[in-house]
Amino acid sequence: MQPFIKADEITKTYGQTLALDRVSFEVNQNEIFGFIGPDGAGKSTLFQIMTTLLIPDSGSGSINELDIAKNYKEIRSIIGYMPGRFSLYQDLTVAENLKFYANIFGTTIKANYELIKNIYDLLEPFSKRKAGDLSGGMKQKLALCCALIHQPKALFLDEPTTGVDPVSRTEFWDNLTQIKHLGIPIVVSTPYMDEAIRCDRVALIHKGRILKMDTPQKIIAEFSATVLSLSNIDKHQAREAIKNLEGIESIFAFGDSLHITVSKDNSSIIDNLRSTLSSIIPDYKLSEITPDFEDCFLQLMKEEQNV
Amino acid sequence: MHNLLIFIRKEILPIQRDPRSLSIMILMPLAEILLIGFVMRFEIEHTNIAVYDMAKQHSSVQLIQRLEGGKRFSAKTVDSMEEAERLLKSNKVKAILRISPDFESKILNDNEPTLQLILDAIDPNTATTIEAYMNAVLNDYFRDQGMSYSPQLLKIDQLMYYNPMLKSVYGTVPGLISVILMLICALMTSVSLTREKEMGTLNVLLISPLKPIQIIIGKVIPYLLVSLVNIAVILVLAFTVFKMPLAGSLLLLILVSLLYCLCALALGFLISTKSQSQQVAMMVSLAGLMLPTTLLSGMIYPIKNMPMWLQGITYLMPARWFINILKHIMLKASPVSAFLPDIGILLLMTLVITAISLHNFKVRFK
Repeated sequence: MQPFIKADEITKTYGQTLALDRVSFEVNQNEIFGFIGPDGAGKSTLFQIMTTLLIPDSGSGSINELDIAKNYKEIRSIIGYMPGRFSLYQDLTVAENLKFYANIFGTTIKANYELIKNIYDLLEPFSKRKAGDLSGGMKQKLALCCALIHQPKALFLDEPTTGVDPVSRTEFWDNLTQIKHLGIPIVVSTPYMDEAIRCDRVALIHKGRILKMDTPQKIIAEFSATVLSLSNIDKHQAREAIKNLEGIESIFAFGDSLHITVSKDNSSIIDNLRSTLSSIIPDYKLSEITPDFEDCFLQLMKEEQNV
Repeated sequence: MHNLLIFIRKEILPIQRDPRSLSIMILMPLAEILLIGFVMRFEIEHTNIAVYDMAKQHSSVQLIQRLEGGKRFSAKTVDSMEEAERLLKSNKVKAILRISPDFESKILNDNEPTLQLILDAIDPNTATTIEAYMNAVLNDYFRDQGMSYSPQLLKIDQLMYYNPMLKSVYGTVPGLISVILMLICALMTSVSLTREKEMGTLNVLLISPLKPIQIIIGKVIPYLLVSLVNIAVILVLAFTVFKMPLAGSLLLLILVSLLYCLCALALGFLISTKSQSQQVAMMVSLAGLMLPTTLLSGMIYPIKNMPMWLQGITYLMPARWFINILKHIMLKASPVSAFLPDIGILLLMTLVITAISLHNFKVRFK
């Protein structure tokens, strides 16, 4: 079966800056595909190109076999797009916004209510409130309803959970999973590494390049190093002391502790590390931890920089 | 068509819900026309002029009485040119009228008498007005004397015929109408469209079956309706408070005003395609449209007094043509053929501006 959404070698520059560097990916139906990367990685640019708003310098793409350049008008009536910034009419009420977006696509709220029911039930009590007066999480739910109400064939959600509290974020991802089961493929981007695990497949994107693309479970499993957590220390002092030791691949600050990545075959490296530390910071705590997604991403970023 | 109605509804909802913004849209022009209309008067009353009557005969005395008869001038007779000039210099009088010694004999023989008018041009507006009033008084006088010609000293302004009292409101009210409609229409559309851009809603609209033209027309129609209310308010004020006459057809007046509004709306649309923020749109509308409309349309400063290159620019001002049409309809009841070219120019401007704007309105970005 043809992948539903396809991008092939998409490149985009803004002046001297390379925003996207030969980005290719495919998304199948019944899939949540996540772009994970920090601000400025090129996620929004990629979304604007895939939703036909922006013209790429080179490369091609298609959605449901419609070309993003040639058939942009058709694509615009079959996709749902939620931009990175809240982009509904702040001075219209919740219900009016939803009605407006249903009507311009030639449908009604009633006709597609089943699609948004789970999300809209939470919004219903505020239906007469102006969209601008909603909380962050509510705004995102409304925006999702508006992107869904015309029963799109694919959803593009650009950083839908940015600036939303953790509880609402979890609810939001639950909603996405329900939508996926209705057969609508979802392309979503997020700067939050912990959300990667909610996607079926992810692409790690940094400085316009896809570093790695796979299921989140596989990415973590393939992580070929040991991560040590070093705490109860002065971070700066500790980093200075160990940064030049042999075998240490990377050191990243995680809250109050440092995550130190060392290669798998490492007993001598860890011994060396312990002896160095005990001479200057006697009461340090060092333990091996299971690498999470963020460790993988940071490690990949570091490898990328060394290339 | 159905999509268009949905869009218009979406535009009107917030306007009608927020009575404050609606009332500003309607009250602002009202306040503006009242303020400017009352302040911007170039009429003169009891202006002191020095009269050096070298003839001192029956006809010259009669002329001076005539001058004083109206409430426009207070004549102060002097006995020498030096004295007159001293008064002028010390700002006691604004003008000197010198009557030649052979005034009476020339009049009696139906010859051209010699009159000299010296004006203090420190304030050119007042000077021009004095010149025009003087012209009117002299014309009257000579006509009553049964003379067959007009004084050569002063040229005759054709407008005078339709505005014999030289009421300045006849000139300023059409100007005001054009400035206010320009402000409302261009400012409102440009700001409203740029807001969609700024808020990101435009991108969401573009990813929908809505056609660009539907978005534009949907934006324009609600403000055209507001403009229609404004036209009504302004005209009622013009006819009641400022006692503007309506010599021609009211329907024609409204239709032409709507055409002018469309032109201004198109300009607002053009501005919005080029500005990225509401502030920019507002500044460009105010500085780029309001000022030139006020200054270059002939509303305050006569176009014929401008340097040639500036006169050339006035041809590009929609208000210039609109004011001309307004004067024709309100004051003269001219046949449509008299201002058909002006209507044609306005129509052409609207079409060209709309075409450029549509071309600039990007549905896909680079």
